[in-house]
Parts: sequence; structure tokens; C-alpha cells
Amino acid sequence: MDRRTVLKGLAGAGGLALTGLSAPAIAQGAAARTLRFVPQANLANFDPIWGTQYVVRNAAALVWDTLYGVDAKLQPQRQMVESEETSDDGKIWTFKLRSGLKFHDGEPVLSKDVVASLSRWAARDPMGLMILAIQQELTAVDDRTFKWVLKQPFPKMLYALAKNNAPCSFIMPERIAKTDPFKQITDYVGSGPMKFVKSEWVPGAKSVFEKFADYVPRQEKASWLAGGKQILVDRVEWLVMPDPATAAAALQNGEVDWWENPIADLVPVLKSNKNISVDIGDPLGNVGSFRMNHLFAPFNDVRARRAVLMALSQEDYMRAIVGDDDALWKPLPGFFTPDTPLYTEMGGEILKGKRDLDAAKKLLAESGYSGQPVTCLVAQDQPITKAQGDVTADLLKKLGMNVDFIATDWGTVGSRRAQKTPPGQGGWNMFHSWHAGADCITPAAYTAIRANGDKAWFGWPNSPNTEKEIAAWFDATTLEEEKAAIGRVNKAALDDVVYAPTGFFLTYTAWRKNVSGITKGPLPFFWGVSKTA
Amino acid sequence: MLSYILRRIVATLPVMAIVALFVFSLLYIAPGDPAVVIAGDQASPEDVERIRQSLGLDRPFLIQFGSWVWRILHGDLGTSIFTNLPVSTLIGQRLGPTLSLMMVTLLLTIVVAVPLGVVAAWKAGSLIDRAIMGFAVFGFSLPVFVVGYMLAYIFALELEWLPVQGYTPLAQGFWPWLENLILPAIALGCVYIALVARITRAAMLEVLQQDYIRTARAKGLGQGGILFIHALKNAAVPIVTVIGIGIALLIGGAVVTESVFAIPGLGRLTIDAILRRDYPVIQGIVLLFSFVYVLVNLMIDVTYTLVDPRIRY
Repeated sequence: MDRRTVLKGLAGAGGLALTGLSAPAIAQGAAARTLRFVPQANLANFDPIWGTQYVVRNAAALVWDTLYGVDAKLQPQRQMVESEETSDDGKIWTFKLRSGLKFHDGEPVLSKDVVASLSRWAARDPMGLMILAIQQELTAVDDRTFKWVLKQPFPKMLYALAKNNAPCSFIMPERIAKTDPFKQITDYVGSGPMKFVKSEWVPGAKSVFEKFADYVPRQEKASWLAGGKQILVDRVEWLVMPDPATAAAALQNGEVDWWENPIADLVPVLKSNKNISVDIGDPLGNVGSFRMNHLFAPFNDVRARRAVLMALSQEDYMRAIVGDDDALWKPLPGFFTPDTPLYTEMGGEILKGKRDLDAAKKLLAESGYSGQPVTCLVAQDQPITKAQGDVTADLLKKLGMNVDFIATDWGTVGSRRAQKTPPGQGGWNMFHSWHAGADCITPAAYTAIRANGDKAWFGWPNSPNTEKEIAAWFDATTLEEEKAAIGRVNKAALDDVVYAPTGFFLTYTAWRKNVSGITKGPLPFFWGVSKTA
Repeated sequence: MLSYILRRIVATLPVMAIVALFVFSLLYIAPGDPAVVIAGDQASPEDVERIRQSLGLDRPFLIQFGSWVWRILHGDLGTSIFTNLPVSTLIGQRLGPTLSLMMVTLLLTIVVAVPLGVVAAWKAGSLIDRAIMGFAVFGFSLPVFVVGYMLAYIFALELEWLPVQGYTPLAQGFWPWLENLILPAIALGCVYIALVARITRAAMLEVLQQDYIRTARAKGLGQGGILFIHALKNAAVPIVTVIGIGIALLIGGAVVTESVFAIPGLGRLTIDAILRRDYPVIQGIVLLFSFVYVLVNLMIDVTYTLVDPRIRY
């Protein structure tokens, strides 16, 4: 008898005396049928259209299905759709749903549900908005057929419906999908492979998903968001653990089965445990970045922006984020995700080779910089932004710039970066962020690469050349045309320094060895994952 | 006494209102925007503005505050900006774990600290006294999270006696409930055990020097009777005070403890709400904490009359 049993016995006896309650006997199989997962962040709300946090998207992928799903080759594949037709002029898309699709409340999935869902999604999604801009009508033809009529062709339609960037075009029942896209839904009925157990939801602590018995998976092998989504456990519990050391200890102790994003510092400890597997989680990784405000001096002058690019060492940034693990980072002389079909380094010379501080200083002087403070916003509560901010402060000082380092929290950076006032009056010159590599494969969902001035992301870059080439990519119909266009986008965006890429980095995921079927992907996929006791 | 208690309870209302106004104002003027967090990093400024409007965050301060007060007067703590769930539901979900943690910690503190303080006073100047006070200094100096990690490492990871994290409601069994609370309660209780032990020792030392104790000894009363019947009762007022204040302080300590041991309590809810600027939740929690604080003070006052009949209200 070990000490724990003794303690248990003692406490149990006391407990029985006090309460008359006893510990429930947990069947051996029950543990194996419940997968306990530590997500990257709180599931603080659950509307994947209203809010676009990655954690919401990841949970939503269990509950709501999509018409198409992107596979591991980044190709859109049919998911809820049985077939689609395009008119000869490319303006009319007619889709037919698979038969037998059901929502979690037992109701069939109908075209009217799809129409309402796509309408709500399109109002919030960058690609959806592009479709809306050329939409003539979106209508249900019959229960299983719907039609999207456009004023001009949109070759990237299937990619828009399949993409995994938030917000994804999840299909909800019409009554839910009719909710104002800027208001949150409260009913979480989907047709995905798992049901959300609202009664057990403790926002910020625990979310529970149960297998949906009536889900009809496709016959193909699962591949990311495409193919047959076979759920092999009865229940998935998401347990939020804000403290990484606690999550690591819980994984080592077998109290949780899978930790989505272990921090780099704790990976060696996990790797040394014979019961734990550690591997790269998302092969599409992340693109580190800082943005300079194009509206105000000194970075309204492209020479000042180029000077910073000439001087920055991506290795310094990446080591600050991932430490000494060389498997976790790559230099990135451009903006697009490495190892994806459209990856390019065209025009990336300014980020390659030995850093030339003297030349950078000279260029900065030519820009007219005369020592005014550079307001640098750094969110200290986000390890990735903090690490990058520290490196940038050092870089700017080496360049002879006067750094006004604003150490604050992410919520404050988020609101202050929207200020278009001058830096001395509540505005800013720089802030740090990063982008999921899944968002940086093409310009489709790549908000950060857009350079259309006032309409662009924070920093408001205005680069007509970049915009022209992005438009060329949208119009491209072959892979070769796409590659050529993306090369030109990369060059134009680097020439005008739309933003500063600080490198490409990966993160790990870790799981107990009694769990199998975990695949690498841009989000945690639970289909095909099983567990033994 | 009853009218006194009623007066004190009524007096809590303006206190809570002032605290809530203060917190509301601080949050309002603090930088940060929940709409930005909700919208996600890739959202456009227009998206953020639309969300802000839909949440009513674009409205003037007085209207936002007035609307909140109006709801409170109608018994509605409001709705969380993020979860769209009633604040009362969110607080209700988190109350059990925090109360359990506080209760076990308090019990542990009283059971361990008071006897330690009594023994230290009894053996004042001895090795036992120095050992107990040394332990008190140690317990008082170590931050909760350091003790928490040490305990988790030793008792959960190395010895595998207790779980690292989580909380199980009492309804699912006494042991599952208790085993999740032992390590957090020890971590959280260290500071309070040290504090209460020191106060108990000081109060007891003072009482043990009184004439009536000498008289009791002269009459041949046993050491146990002197310590626990005569001395401890007369030393109880400062001990009760520090235990009472400790309850209020436990709320603060629970924030860190709940994070270290992944307990889904009010502490974590508070931190999450503050980081996300979830105003209705923060206001609801502040109201609750204010009420608890006032209530604890009231209970301390009432307890005085029980331990010292000379005190009257």
C-alpha cells in the first residue's frame, strides 16, 4: 500500500463520516474515452464569426463543419458539399450538399442554413467581403442546392470556403446564422463531428465536447480540415491552464493527455520524460513581425524603414523567441510561409547576408531623422512580443535612434495601435506582433501584407505596387501565374517595407504516449486521435 | 446587537457603490479595449468599432455607469462582454472552488497555527519556540507561487501522492474534492499559518504574564487548562482579528494559487476579466468581494462579543 492510498483511505474515512459521500468508482474504460487537452488559450467566447481568436476557431472546427476544407497540401476539398458547378463565364457557382447531413439538434442541414451562414461569414471575412462586393445574389435553389451569382468571376471561391484562417465559413442552423455578425451567438448547435456541452462550459477554465453520433464522415482519409473526420473518443475536455509550469506538470503526471503549445523553456523537461512525445505542432509556424507607422516621421520615409530592415538581425529576434533550439526557426527574407507552394524570396536581399549597421545609419541620416523619439509599443504580457520588443529597442539604439519604449499589456497595444494621431499625442511609431503561418500562404487572408493606405492594417502602409501585384494574384488562374505574382508581391512589399518580418518560427506540441493519431497542422485536429488507458 | 448588525449590513451598500464606482472609473480611464481583444489580431479598425458599438462601449461614461447601476438595482449583475453569459452565472460557477480553497486553508491555518503559537508562547525562548518562529519567518517570506511549485514538484510529480491541478466539486466525493485542495491550501496557508502563529504567540505571551494566570497556577490548575481555557480565551481578540483579516487577504492569495494549481475559481476569473477589460464581470466581482470584506469585518466584531463578554455594541 503506497502513501497515496493511505492518505486516500484516511481522508475518505473522514469524508464519509462528515458527508456520507464517497468517491465514485471510475470505470477503467472511461478514462480512455475522454481526451484531456490543454489549449493555447481560454475559450472565453464561442462564436467563430463574431470573434476571430485562433482558440475559438480551433474549438469551432469540432462543432461546426464547413462546405470545403483545406487539406495538408493546402488544397480545398469538398466537405459538406457533394458537388459544385461553375458557369462558363465563371460568374455562377451552383453547389449541392451531401445527403444525410444533420445538425446536433437532429434537424437536417438545408440550403437555407448555408445561405444564412455564408451571409453572416461574408460580412466579417476579408475574402467574404470581396465576394460580397461582386455578389449579385446568394439563394437556396432547393433543400440541398444553393447558388451564388456574381457580377464577375472569383477564381478563389473554393479557397475562400475551405480556408482555415479565422473566420472560417462554418455552417450553422439558419436561426443562429441570422444573428447580426457583430453580435455574439448563444446557441452552439452545429453539424460537426462533436457537440459542445454548454452545461459544462466554464469559460476560461473548461470546455467539453461530446462525440456526435449522427455525424456522417466522408469516406476519404482525413487530412487537416478535409476528409473523413472520425472521432475515436467519446469526449474531449479542454482544460485551460494559464501557467505553463502547471500544464507541464499535469502532462507529466498524466492528468492531461495533450498540451497544444508547450513553451520552449519546458520542452527539454518534457522530452526527457519517457511517457511523453514532443514534436512540431504546426508545420506552417509563425511569421514574426514589427510594424512601423507609415503616417509619421521617421517611418513615413521609406529610407528610414529600409535602414531598419538593413540593420535588423532575424537571428537575434528568433533566438529571443525560441532560445537555442535551431530546429525551431528559419530566416525569412520575405513575407510568405516557407515550404508552401507559393513561397518566394524574390527581392529579399535586404534581409539576407551580413548586417550593415554603418550603411543603415547613413540611410537613416539621409531620411532626415534627427533624433526625435521613436514610440515603440511592446506588450509585456505576450512572451513573443516582449522578446521582439527587447531586440528592437537594442536595434534602434544601435542605429542611433531615440527609443521611447512603452512597456504595456496586449489589450493596450491593441487599442493604441489603432490611433492615427502623431506618436507624441497618443499615437505610435512601432509595435510588435506575429502572424500564423497559415495566414501567410497567400494574400487571401493575409491582412498584414495589404498596403492600401487608410484601409490597410495598423501602420497604414501605402504601396500601390504591392496592391497591384496582390490583385494580380487574385486574378491568377494557374499555379505559375500565382507564383509569379507572389514573387512580385514579396519584392514590392520589401521595397516599400510594408512591415518588418523578423523571421519564421515553429512551436512544439506535446502529448502522452498512450495517445495516438495526432497530426501536424495549423490547428489541433481531434479526428483520428485515440487514447488507451 | 441585531440592530447593530442590520445597521452594518445597510452601511455596506454605499461602501460597495463607492468601490464599484471607483473601479469602474479606473477601468474606464485605463488604456485597453475589449473590442480589440474580441475582434482578434487580424481585425480591421472598422470591425473593432462595430463590435465596440454593439457592446455599448462607445457610449459616454455616465451612461455606461448609469446603465450598470440601473441593472444592479433590478438585481441583474449584467452580462459578460466576452462570454455573453450572465455575470451571476460566471461568479456562481467559480464561487465553489474559491470557497472550498478558502475554507480548507482557513481550517488548516486554525488547526496548525493556533496550537503552534500557543506552544511557542508556552516554551518562549526555548529551542521549540525558536524552531516555530523560524518556521513562521520562513512561511511568511516565501511567495505563494514558490511554495506551490515546490509542493507540486514533491508531492505530485515525484511522490505522485496528490494531483497537480484542477478542482472536483464536493458532490463528486469527499476525497476527489479534498485531494485537489490539499496542496493549494498548504501553499496558500503558509503565509497565514506564519502570521497567525506569530500573533497567537505574542497575544499569549502577554496574557501569560497577567496576574490571574499566576493565580491559576498557584491554585494548581494544569498547564493545559491554563493555556487553552484561561489564556487562549483572553488572547483570542487579536487572534480572531488577524484570522478575520486573513480571510479577506486570502482572496488576493487565491488569485495566484488558483493559477498555479489551475483551479477554476474567482481569482482566475478576476484576472481574466481584468486582462480582457470585461467590465461587467470585474464590477460584479468587486461588488462581491466588497460585500465579503464588510461581512467578514462584521463577523469579527460579533465574534469579539462572544470571546470577550465585556465588549458590547
